[in-house]
Order: sequence, then C-alpha cells, then structure tokens
Amino acid sequence: MADQATFEKDALEYARQLYSAAMRMTRNPADAEDLVQETFLKAYRAYDSFEQGTNLKAWLYRILTNTFINKYRSDSRRPRQTDLGDVEDLYMYRRIASGDSAEAARSAEERVLDGLVESDIKQAVEELPENFRLPVLLADLEGFSYKEIAEILDIPIGTVMSRLHRGRKAMQKRLWEFARQRGLLPDDAVRP
Amino acid sequence: MSRDCDEALANLYLYLDSELDQVSIHKVKTHLEECRGCDAPFDFEKRLRQVVRERLNEDLPEAFVMRLRAVLALEITGP
Repeated sequence: MADQATFEKDALEYARQLYSAAMRMTRNPADAEDLVQETFLKAYRAYDSFEQGTNLKAWLYRILTNTFINKYRSDSRRPRQTDLGDVEDLYMYRRIASGDSAEAARSAEERVLDGLVESDIKQAVEELPENFRLPVLLADLEGFSYKEIAEILDIPIGTVMSRLHRGRKAMQKRLWEFARQRGLLPDDAVRP
Repeated sequence: MSRDCDEALANLYLYLDSELDQVSIHKVKTHLEECRGCDAPFDFEKRLRQVVRERLNEDLPEAFVMRLRAVLALEITGP
C-alpha cells in the first residue's frame, strides 16, 4: 500500500512529462493543465490502492489517458477512428537517401533532421487520429514498452504494435511534407 | 539485398523499441556491423526518434506547478 503523504514527492516528478503528453492529447495549454490537474487529484485519491514498488509512471499515464478518453471524447470531439493511408516503411529515409553517395545522403539527412522545428513535429503528432496518436506518444515521447502501452490503453499488444507502426509511418509522411515546405530537401527529392 | 538484410530491416522497429530477444538483438547488431546498406536506415530512424522526443517536450509553466501544489495541498489537508 502506498502512503498518501509521500504522493506529492513521488508523483510530481512526472508532472512535466505528463503535461507534455497532455498537450499533444488536448492540443491546448488550458485543457492540458486541467487534464494533468485532474489526473493528479484522481491519483492522490486512489494512491492508497496503488501497489508500492510497481510502475508509478505507467499508473499515472493510465489515469491520464483514461481521463482524457472519458472527458474529451464525451463532448463533441468524437474520436476519429479514421484509417491512415498506406505508407511504405522508411518513408523519409528512402526519399532522402536515394541514389546519393553515403556522405551526401548523410548531410541531406542532417539538414532535414536539424531543420524540422518543434511546431512541425508537434503538429505531425497532433494530426494523427487519436487511436494512433496515443500509442505513438506513449512509445516515442515516454519510452513505454509495448506491454506497458497495452496495459495503459487496455488494448492487445498486437494492436499496439500495428497502430504504432502505422502511426509512425503516417507521421513520417507528414514530416516529409514539412521538410519540403521548409526547403530542406535536395532538389531531386522535392518532387512528391 | 540478402536474406540477412530482409531480416534485419523487418526487425528494425522491434530493435529500436528494445522489444527483441537477446539472440535476435545479437543477429541484428552483427549484421549492421558488416552491412552499411542496413546500418544507414537504422541510424536514420534512431536519430529521427531522438529529434521527435526532444522536440515534443514542453516546459512546465511555473504558475501551473504552483497551482498544482496548492490544489494538492488543499486536498491533503482538507478544506
């Protein structure tokens, strides 16, 4: 059994990470703050049922995602369970590197990776439909394992893997468009 | 592209996600050491992930941290 007295110290160290995830979920600071605050209150109230020594971070994320799903899905913003178009593997890599020498490819890669700004990456994630966005956030922002993500989202591991894979590919396609808009691509890669 | 290349690329995501078993990790690593054609995409995907992770992080607004502490303190001591 966990002690409520230690909650603030134990849990608050995850506040920044939870807030970063909440920003990508709700897409605005006011809702993100509300979501994180509600997560901490729920977690505090339930803290004596949290099994000490188990994964506190995953437990907090489970509360965060459930609160997000229940609260923000119930209003007008229905989940867009849209399908993503089929995007090939290594979408960006294959387009940047095609036909160049290793050195040229490497510098073209650096140009793209350095040139993508925060807002591009945030937007690419935020545009993902929710059922793909949550696994991508949990894996790529937080580094949770497939098993942890499956438990947090309450979906089978196979579903985590396929959504993660397809969500990441869709994100790469979007990042490639941003790179093109920003003029980061070598001339021969500019064509769609 | 050899069969080893196909196998390594098929395991790319599992490898970068640290979801492979020890034997498969060893196979991928050994292959990447000797195959520049496969090492390059692995390296790119790895760097892309670092970039994504770094640039997704938000600073926690100071005023929000204070509010959060106040709300929790109120919850802990009761009204």
